[in-house]
Amino acid sequence: MFFDGNIFWLFMGILTVVVGGGFNEFAKSRGWTLTWWKWALAVVWYIIFMMGFYAWGTLIGENEGSAGFRFFLMIAFISAILAVGLWRLLAIGSSKNVNTQ
Amino acid sequence: MTETAVKSGPSRRDFLKIGGAAALVVQAGGLVAAGNVQGSSAETYTGWESFNPATQFFNRKPFEFEGPAHLPVADVRRPSHMTDYVFGRVATFQRAYEANPTWTPDDPVEDLGVPDPLVAFYKEYPERLEWDYRTFSETIPTRDEDYKVYGNYYKLADAYSSGFTAHAAYLPTAGSPPEESDFMEMQRNWPEPKPIGDPVPFKNEEKAAEFIKEVAHRYGATLVGITRAKIDYFYSEGWAGCPEDYDYSKLPEHWQYVIVIGVPMEWDTVLASPQASTSYEGYDRVSTAAVRLEGVIKNLGYPARASTPMTYYDMIVPPFAIEAGLGEVSRPGYCITPELGSNCRLAAVVTNLPMATDKPIKFGVEEFCNSCKICAEQCPSGAISMADSPDEQEWGTGPVLRGYKHWYINNGACYNFWRESMGPLGCRLCVAVCPYSRKDNWIHQLAREVDPRDPTGITRESLLFMQKNFFDYPEAVEYRRVGSGGHFASYRPEPAFLHAEDFLDIPITSPHAD
Repeated sequence: MFFDGNIFWLFMGILTVVVGGGFNEFAKSRGWTLTWWKWALAVVWYIIFMMGFYAWGTLIGENEGSAGFRFFLMIAFISAILAVGLWRLLAIGSSKNVNTQ
Repeated sequence: MTETAVKSGPSRRDFLKIGGAAALVVQAGGLVAAGNVQGSSAETYTGWESFNPATQFFNRKPFEFEGPAHLPVADVRRPSHMTDYVFGRVATFQRAYEANPTWTPDDPVEDLGVPDPLVAFYKEYPERLEWDYRTFSETIPTRDEDYKVYGNYYKLADAYSSGFTAHAAYLPTAGSPPEESDFMEMQRNWPEPKPIGDPVPFKNEEKAAEFIKEVAHRYGATLVGITRAKIDYFYSEGWAGCPEDYDYSKLPEHWQYVIVIGVPMEWDTVLASPQASTSYEGYDRVSTAAVRLEGVIKNLGYPARASTPMTYYDMIVPPFAIEAGLGEVSRPGYCITPELGSNCRLAAVVTNLPMATDKPIKFGVEEFCNSCKICAEQCPSGAISMADSPDEQEWGTGPVLRGYKHWYINNGACYNFWRESMGPLGCRLCVAVCPYSRKDNWIHQLAREVDPRDPTGITRESLLFMQKNFFDYPEAVEYRRVGSGGHFASYRPEPAFLHAEDFLDIPITSPHAD
């Protein structure tokens, strides 16, 4: 089965690097200076957000898809709230007059 | 004049940003798919994925305490086959009622014709008498009529269940008192029973326990623990192979250790409780494993006797399971284990093989059961206490059961619903709905490991909030018969292989049709 095999998790690892790269560029375009603790907070947020998807799928596999979807909505809601706080934290120390060109 | 270079298409930065966003979406989808595979994986079916010691994966060490787990709070009364043991009691009631069919609860119980100990029991627990009467005067005749209508819907569930009983008659049951039968070899087809040989000494008690646990797992036990025998939990009469005048006041000298083993019922079918699931999935495996264990111990020269659901019980097993560290006592009265939750069928072997014993554990079940109450809310017979704690019970005998603090269970009401439900005999709904009775995937691993380590109770309350608000439950009345406000609902649909309408060419009436 592909989705529980080593190749799949290697692929997930590659995607994580790509997501990280994209986030890094996004932060630069916003003028954010990504310190280690900002990276750590972003990683924690991302794990929580992705856990919602993983849990949803797991509960679908248990034939508890409705519960899985409700759980996902809860995680998405929590993630949205956390994202607002994270956004403000990431913006700490950002450079002024950002030229995004 | 200079020309200004005009960029076309996305920049490198935009490409990385878009790529990152796309990767996020793909990763989210991949995790849903991976979760789906894990949620349905055979490897998560604890106890049904293999016969292997690794099935007992929970680290009990941090939760051990010296014990004993049970301390008497009043005069201890040993359990009785005739009264406390529901099958023994209803069988006795049935014989008396069939001989005296005009008797009603308005008549003196002495007129029913049951033995004096049962008369005394019914006077102490009058609600049991009412329920036992209702079972035989109303429920069973009604169920017989229901079965004529809906029986074919459960044809495959019945057949599947009966397969697990196929070799029950061939499992050896002690045919003589412990002083004799426990010292005889088990092999069949010999002209005369042969005594066991001389005991083969182990290097030490730890090695003996290690060996016994290893082979118990290999014989099919998902869980195994060892504790000391205690007379309080042995029946006060009626041990297998013993005559009525046998001295039941003390344990035979060689009943020193109790090896307790547990296995789960299959994880998909048990969710189809109370109608289409079967206890025999667990009974068969745990009985077979216990008999094998008796065999290996006797082969090493030590007397042994198995107590199993398919042979005979000389004891009530859950207290021993709890003392042996398999789990904790729960609101419905049975032992909840970390690995299997409530989905744990037990058997035991008594012996004098010296073994290192296990310690009882506390991993949060008491506090969880105090808050949860899902089993009580779902129970269609109302047999399970709704009190906030054992101390606050207002019915039965309060918090004391045969001298020990315990939740009160009305096993008369419980058995009554057994005889109302469709499919293989029994209910098991409290097992199915228990939040601890879950497969072994990462979500439940997380809950299992975090909750017992959280002294604040926040994890417990959060898990309960999600359990009660995210998961769908039928109303308790829906489990009941058609005509009583129900439609023979099951907690979850029957597994596809039990859908008779998909396999059998017979007329089938679904109770869920309307």
